[in-house]
Amino acid sequence: MTTQLSVYADPQAEAAGAVSAVVASLPLSFAPAGPAAPAASVPAASAPDITAVSGHAGWTERAAAAVRKGAKGIVVSGPVAEDPAALIGVAEAAGSVVVLDQPWAGNLALAGSRENVHGVIAAALEDAVLLDSVAIGVPGTDPRDLLTEQFSVLVQCGIAVQNVRMVQRNANGYTVAGVLASGAPVALQGILTSALPATASVSILTSTGRADVVLPDPAAAWPAVVRAVTKEGATALPTLYESSHRTSWSRVHSHLSSGIPATDLVQFSTVLSLVSQLTS
Amino acid sequence: MSSQAQASPALLGVGILGAGPVTQAIHLPSLARLGNILEVRHIMDVDPAVAASVAGRVGARFSTSMEELLADTAVDIVAICSPHQFHAAQVIAACRAGKKAVLCEKPFAMNGEEAAAISAVSAETGVPIIVGAMHTFDPGWLAAEGAWGDLPEQVHTVRSSIVLPPNPRFEDFATEIVGRVSLPSSDPTDPEVIKAMLTGGVMGLAIHDLPLVRRFTPDFADVEVLHAEIVRPFGYVISLRAGNVTIELRAAMNATWEPAWEFEAIGDDAALKIDFTPSYVQAGSATARIRTAGRTTVLGPFGHNGYEGEWRKLAELAGGTGQPPSAETLIHDLEFALAIAEAAAGQVDTGRVDTGRVDAGSAASGTTEDQEVNA
Repeated sequence: MTTQLSVYADPQAEAAGAVSAVVASLPLSFAPAGPAAPAASVPAASAPDITAVSGHAGWTERAAAAVRKGAKGIVVSGPVAEDPAALIGVAEAAGSVVVLDQPWAGNLALAGSRENVHGVIAAALEDAVLLDSVAIGVPGTDPRDLLTEQFSVLVQCGIAVQNVRMVQRNANGYTVAGVLASGAPVALQGILTSALPATASVSILTSTGRADVVLPDPAAAWPAVVRAVTKEGATALPTLYESSHRTSWSRVHSHLSSGIPATDLVQFSTVLSLVSQLTS
Repeated sequence: MSSQAQASPALLGVGILGAGPVTQAIHLPSLARLGNILEVRHIMDVDPAVAASVAGRVGARFSTSMEELLADTAVDIVAICSPHQFHAAQVIAACRAGKKAVLCEKPFAMNGEEAAAISAVSAETGVPIIVGAMHTFDPGWLAAEGAWGDLPEQVHTVRSSIVLPPNPRFEDFATEIVGRVSLPSSDPTDPEVIKAMLTGGVMGLAIHDLPLVRRFTPDFADVEVLHAEIVRPFGYVISLRAGNVTIELRAAMNATWEPAWEFEAIGDDAALKIDFTPSYVQAGSATARIRTAGRTTVLGPFGHNGYEGEWRKLAELAGGTGQPPSAETLIHDLEFALAIAEAAAGQVDTGRVDTGRVDAGSAASGTTEDQEVNA
C-alpha cells in the first residue's frame, strides 16, 4: 500500500516547481500539509514529510534548514549552481532524501531506469565523431544557470566532457567547447530567446548515424524525443508524457519508501565542477 | 565533334565547362526538368572520354578546351563547373565571349583580386553572373525572405548544421556517374591536413550557407573566428562572432544514410529554421518555419530545389528579364567566406586546434581533407 506523505511548499517553491498541480496528480502518494504556517515556524514534531524548496540562490541553506526542522524529503526545483557539500552532510546525518527537480535532467526519459535511452546514448558515445548540444532559455536567464542545466543533462546522460573552454559568452547566450574521452569534439551552445520552447537537445553524431535526445520544457507534460539512427534505420523510443516535476516527486517518494538514498547532490557536485571551470 | 541536331531557336543553349559528378548528378538532371526553356548544347572536359560520354547522354557537342566551347555560337549560357582554381579566368573569358549569362560554381574566385577583376569585366560587358550558392535560389529560402519581416534586425544567433552521407550515395540516385575519382586518405593529425580540411569545409560546404548567414550579420566585415576544429572523417566545428551576432557552424560528412541540413536564425522573439533537402536528388525545396511565441508559420516545401532555381534565374537573365545579384553582394559573400576559411585554418597555426587528440582507431581510419564537398 502506498504511504501518503504530506507536502509543504512556500510560494516561491510552488512557483518554481508547480507543486500543487504535481501533488494533485499523485493523490495516493502525497497530500498537502494544509494551510500551514511558514516552514520556519513549523515545529519539528509536526513537520511535513516533504518540503519543496525553490532552487534560486541560497537553496542549499534553505534545504538544510528544512532538513533540520524534520523534513524526511526535500525537492529542490531548478537549483542554480551552488556547492551542495554542506547539505550533503546535513541530509546524511538526518537520513533525509534530497531530490533535485531539474527541468531537463530530471525528465523521465533520462531516469536511470530507462535502459533503452541510456543504451542508445552509450552506443552512440562508443562511436561518436561529434557531440552537439543546444539549450534554449528565455531572455533574462542567467547564462550560468542555463549552463548548469545543460551540464546536468550531459551528466545525467552519462556523458563525460573534458577540457571545457568558454568560447564566447554574451547577453544572448554562450558557446562552450570540450572533448569526449575519445577525443571527439563537444560543442555546447546556450541561446536565449522567447521565440522557441525552452528545450535542451543532445545530438551525438557517429561514424554511421546519430543519436538525438530532445528534452522539453517541464511547464507541460510534453514528452522527450529520443531517436537513434544506425545503419539499419531509425528508431524512435516510446514517448513518456510526464513532466520532470512529476518525475522528481515520484522519485522522492520512491527513495523514502525503499530506503535507497538519492545521489542527486553528489551528481550535482560533478555539474558544479564543470560550471566552475568555466565561470570561476 | 558534334552529335547534336539543329538547335532550337526557341530554347536557350547551355554550355558546361567541367563534366564531373556535379555536372552529371546536379546540373544535367536539373536541366532535364527545364527542357522547355533550356537545352544543353556543349560539354567540355579535359578528359575526352568523360566529355564524350556526358555530352552523348544529352545529345550535345563536346570538346576538351574552353575556347572551343566559348566559340560555339549555340551556347548562350555558360556554366563553370571546373576545379576552383580555374573559376575566375573562365568567368572572365565567358563574359568576354559575349555570352548572355554565366553560372559559376562556388567559389567564383579564390581571392579578392580575382573577385574584383570579375566584377569589372561583368560591369564592362554587361554579362550577368550567378554564383552557385544554391540555397539562395531555393524557393523555401526565398519564401522565408519574403515573410520574415524585421527578423534580420533582431537576430543575435545563427546556426548552420550539416550532416551528409558521402556524395556518391546521392549521386547514384541522381544519375549514372562516369569518371568518378577515388580520393586518397591522409593523416588527420597532420596540421596541414587539418588546415586543408577546415579551408575545404568552409569553401566547399559552409559556403552554401554563408550568403544566408550574411543576411543576418550586418557587421560581416568584422567577423572573428573564435574556435575551429575538425570532425572526422570530414567536417568542422567553427564558432564565429560578427558584431553582436553569434555564428555557429557544424558539419559532418559521415557514413550515415540520413541527411540533415538545417539553418537557423534566432532573435529575441522571432526565429527562422530552414530544413534543406539533400543535394543531387530532385527532392523539392527546403521547408522554412518562422516562429514567434505561440505561432509557427510554415513555408514550403515547393516542387523544385535551389539548383533548378539557379537555372530558372539564368534563363530569366539570358532572356533579358530579372535582376542578377549585385557584384557587391557576390564579392562580399566571397570575402566573408575567405575570411572565415583563412581564420579557421589560422587556428591551427596558433595552436588553438589540437592536432594530436585522436585515438589510434580513429587515426587509422584516415581522412579525406580534400574530398569533393560540392554538396
